Amino acid sequence: MTAASPVPVPDEIRVLPGPALLAGIDEGPSLAAHRARHGTAPAVTAARLLALTADARLRGRGGAAFPFSTKLAAASRGRRPVVVVNLSEGEPASSKDSALALTRPHLVLDGAVAAAGALGARDVHVVLPGDRPHAAERMAHAIAERDDRVRFRQHRADARFVSGQARAVVELLAGRSNLPVVAWAPEAVAGLHGRPTLLSNAETWAHVGLLVLDGEAAYTARGRVDEPGTTLLTVTAPGQVPHVHEVEYGARLRDVLPSSATGGPLLVGGFHGSWATWSTVASARVSVPGMAALGMPLGAGVVLAPGPGTCPLALTSQVVDHLAGQSSGRCGPCLNGLPALAATVRAALTGSGGERGAVAEIERLSRLVERRGACAHPDGTARLVRSLLRALPGEVAAHGAGGCDARTAEAA
Amino acid sequence: MAHRLRVDWPACQARGLCHEVLPEVVDLDDWGYPIVTREIDAALLSDARAAVRACPRNALRIVD
Repeated sequence: MTAASPVPVPDEIRVLPGPALLAGIDEGPSLAAHRARHGTAPAVTAARLLALTADARLRGRGGAAFPFSTKLAAASRGRRPVVVVNLSEGEPASSKDSALALTRPHLVLDGAVAAAGALGARDVHVVLPGDRPHAAERMAHAIAERDDRVRFRQHRADARFVSGQARAVVELLAGRSNLPVVAWAPEAVAGLHGRPTLLSNAETWAHVGLLVLDGEAAYTARGRVDEPGTTLLTVTAPGQVPHVHEVEYGARLRDVLPSSATGGPLLVGGFHGSWATWSTVASARVSVPGMAALGMPLGAGVVLAPGPGTCPLALTSQVVDHLAGQSSGRCGPCLNGLPALAATVRAALTGSGGERGAVAEIERLSRLVERRGACAHPDGTARLVRSLLRALPGEVAAHGAGGCDARTAEAA
Repeated sequence: MAHRLRVDWPACQARGLCHEVLPEVVDLDDWGYPIVTREIDAALLSDARAAVRACPRNALRIVD
């Protein structure tokens, strides 16, 4: 039995013009429009690309925020590397990589091609999303427009939450099932066929492209001195299609939220993310370390507002039911632990078992699944549930007492 | 230098021999899958190697 996602993969998104990656999107996604705005990307050496991305403090935008230059340095040692552009957003509430495929595909490809040139890679693998046909088509069309010296190889990911995970993508490229396996070494050290594999998502590659095209001075003029540049956010709120915004680091998070999203708790970072109260969100600035310190890591930039009238515990229960069904089913602790965790959250929702029993069991099961799988799917699911207990403690208590009072939880 | 026992989770099928051979390091969860509770010091290294060999799924590795 697999529960459907309570937040479906959107058929339609709205991409708003932004200061850097999303500048000039009204000119269209063609190669001609892209070249007219940015010119042709200059060839860069590995040393130059390393300096560019280190100076810009570029971090991966898939959720882990790993420093890109560290990955690049690892991939530049040893055998001929391969470059991978990952457009598989398994997270239904994230649409930023799709947004780039639809509006700025050549910025993404310029970044990947520049890295391939710098590292001497011959192949650029592009992993298209299996459940977002418009974005996949647009990217495939963009690839057909290119005239680079690298060979593009296209793949289509499965429509499954864990299919975008790095090792699952390497498995797909190797011709095996698109499911996570244990990484005995980082992909950048030993990935596809044991080669160094520089795998990043579309947004990360778009930032690399922008750095190569415009230089670091223009890039680091945006954002803050200690956290330069911009980042993409996907905002899902009642009464509107998901909006993809580009904001400078240091911007107020609340400024991208519509009025339907204000006042109540929000889910930040997506299904593997964290609940946060409105007061926490309202005071926050968009920042990787800053938001982590507030207990709501930015992750892949997802902000989800359930809106008034939606119980956060009920939504969490639906999400955990969905995530339990999205397990690849190959790692015992995830296969068994997530359904057990989902059942406990459901019990907390109905108030059976009492508040204390439910909280203790949620904590125990969360600890039991963490760091015990090939990928971070169990860890992310546990993080979500624990964040609800931490940010909205009144919610479980209210259900334990036979009621549901989101307003009480907000005040707490 | 201390080593760690790592589990190849998709390979592991909860046969439990690791716990039989190396109870000092391996506990079992509600479903019989291993919980690695501590690092492997010099005194436990040969038992840990035996646990790796004993796994019928070849799902254990000793890593630095």
